[in-house]
Amino acid sequence: MKKFSYTITDPVGIHARPAGVLVKAVKPFASTCTITKGDKSVDLRKLMALMGMGIKCGDTVEVTIEGADEDVAAETIEKFFKENL
Amino acid sequence: MDYRKCAQEIYDLVGKRENLVSAAHCATRLRLVTNDNSKVDMKKLEDVDGVKGVFSSNGQLQIIIGTGAVNKVYDEFLSISGMTAATKADVKAAAAAKQPLPFRMIKALGDVFVPILPAIVAAGLMMGLLEGMTKIWPDMANSGTYQIFHLFSNAAFVFLPVLIAVSAARVFGGNIFLGAVIGMIMVHPDLTNAWSVAGMLEAGEKIPQASVWFGLYHINLTGYQGHVIPVIIAVWFMCFLEKKLHEKVPEMIDLFVTPLVTVLVTGYLTLTIFGPVFSTLEEWILIAVQWIITIPYGLGAAVAGAIYPLTVVAGVHHMYNTVEARMLGSGYNTWMPIASSANFAQGAACFAVALKTKNHKFKNLALPSSLSAFLGITEPAIFGVNLRLVKPLVCGMIGGACGAAVGAMLGIGATAYGVTGLFGFLTCADFIWQYAIMLAVSFAVSFVLSWFMHSDKTEEDEGEAVAEETAAPEITCEPGKVYAPIKGNVIPSAEIPDETFAAGVLGEGIGIEPAEGVVYAPFDGEISSTTDTKHAIGISSPDGMELLIHVGVNTVAMEGDGFELFCAEGDQVKAGQKLMTFDIEKIKAAGYSTTTAVLVTNSDDYANLEINEGGCDPLDCVITVSNEESKPEEGAEAPAEEAPAEEAPAEEAPAEEAPAEEAPAEEAPAEEAPAEDAPVEV
Repeated sequence: MKKFSYTITDPVGIHARPAGVLVKAVKPFASTCTITKGDKSVDLRKLMALMGMGIKCGDTVEVTIEGADEDVAAETIEKFFKENL
Repeated sequence: MDYRKCAQEIYDLVGKRENLVSAAHCATRLRLVTNDNSKVDMKKLEDVDGVKGVFSSNGQLQIIIGTGAVNKVYDEFLSISGMTAATKADVKAAAAAKQPLPFRMIKALGDVFVPILPAIVAAGLMMGLLEGMTKIWPDMANSGTYQIFHLFSNAAFVFLPVLIAVSAARVFGGNIFLGAVIGMIMVHPDLTNAWSVAGMLEAGEKIPQASVWFGLYHINLTGYQGHVIPVIIAVWFMCFLEKKLHEKVPEMIDLFVTPLVTVLVTGYLTLTIFGPVFSTLEEWILIAVQWIITIPYGLGAAVAGAIYPLTVVAGVHHMYNTVEARMLGSGYNTWMPIASSANFAQGAACFAVALKTKNHKFKNLALPSSLSAFLGITEPAIFGVNLRLVKPLVCGMIGGACGAAVGAMLGIGATAYGVTGLFGFLTCADFIWQYAIMLAVSFAVSFVLSWFMHSDKTEEDEGEAVAEETAAPEITCEPGKVYAPIKGNVIPSAEIPDETFAAGVLGEGIGIEPAEGVVYAPFDGEISSTTDTKHAIGISSPDGMELLIHVGVNTVAMEGDGFELFCAEGDQVKAGQKLMTFDIEKIKAAGYSTTTAVLVTNSDDYANLEINEGGCDPLDCVITVSNEESKPEEGAEAPAEEAPAEEAPAEEAPAEEAPAEEAPAEEAPAEEAPAEDAPVEV
């Protein structure tokens, strides 16, 4: 299981569009990816659920990746967060 | 809706007067500038009955109330807050300029009277009761308690010009305290009380006079107790003068020059010109009335009964005491039945409005006003209700005319003056049944006419709300179908002017170029997400379809300005239910495309996705998804090119038609999907 924390810097937070891009980035991996903010966690593949988190700029989130390809997935997803969010 | 209550609640929630800088309104919104927006309780504001939405923009707090209602709430808001908004003059002038003068005058009269009605309703009821009781128990007039109560009951009438002047100054945008001074001048104790004039003339006493305009002519030094029109004219002039002076006078000396000149000029003109002109007019009316009632066969009485309320409006009715006193000198008082039926008819007209109207504020006002009129004090009914609606006034005039004619034909005469209405029985002891018939006729004619003539619709603009309801008919949802959430033009999602949407990153679907800024629920389902910026709604259907409605492109940057949500996360909604409104013009003004993305975010789950392009009305079917053929459709699977073949079976294999049916598959496919995806792909 891989984990990383990230503080959102995108001024508009994870709204519809970034959420869509994020879900798309996560989809190719086989691992289960979960995003946690506070006591709420959702599956990173579920666009609606992700949007429902209402993640805003400055929020710190924790991403957990677990599965067969977790190493490469964690690396790619973390990179994605840093570049896009 | 209760405008007063709505305005009062808004006033309380925005932090009262000390937090208000200015107030104005446009066609639909109350626009307030506050000292500190953070003191405003936005959440509670949204819950106020009558408020359709709240947001702040450019330091301006905008409260959406709706056409037709906003100006009334605004008027109440000003009256509650005591503000005389600078911008109000422009807005009002623009709105008022469209109406013919008589309507503007009636409206002004109503605007002036409404805020002071509680005072005169209280006084009117008290006065009617007290006068009636002293007729029953004449000894009561000697009791100390009676004298004190009598004081209470007539205070509002004795000083009516002060109340009117304050209210008028506010309506006309002047300083209310200067207005009060003008009102006080007109009822100054050094002037002979207008109510005493008739008695003094009768007794042959001389009314004190003063030489004015350097000896040009003399005026009677009489007060204007009970007067209405001269006060309003005086204060209107005062406000006009005050505003002009504020413009012209240098700021340094404005503070003492303007009030001084305003009071001096207005006061002098009032006592020497406005007042005397009206007094003369009043005398003429009186002479005319006395002549009219000499017309035989009840015709004269009918005419007098009809115009009586108009003389109340003009404020000359207190002069009738002279006429009545003279009549009693030579027999019965035959004027009293005329006045009584006229008053009773106004009460009945007002009573009909009270019973029929659905407007709570009006009901609460009209009921006590009509009671007061039945006791003979008609000012609350006439000014508060009948004159403002005009129709009840006319109905009451007709009823009054009928009653007065009946009264004259039956030869009713009273043995005293001062009371009318129900207590009139006491002074018409010789004509009890005739008097009863007369009142019944007045009441019946007036009530029936008023009942049929009155309609709330002309007063209120509720058409809008009705139109909205009808625009959202109920439909039966078929699984897998998305019904147009917005009226507009449907385009393929690939043509949405935004690459993320066009590429299908968020799913496949359509774009709608909106013609109306209202979003309706596209199917029965649950709101799965909303955002603080209010511009996007996610909704899931029981058969597992997830839909994103994203209004405009890049509109997240508007931070909710121009958007209003009518649903919250977790709400169960029915197709056609209003979910959101947005301001098309505002989005355009902010430089964003209004094209709204309506995307099936889990379009990967479906083999087929068909759209109906072109113009759509709300709830036309615009998207149909199905899994009937499992071969991937062109373009439909863009976001996950490699996956569809595997993904679809993984979820749907156990029940191919699941999405096309209801209960069994409810949340299951959506929940399980990721977990099952994973092993399949490995």
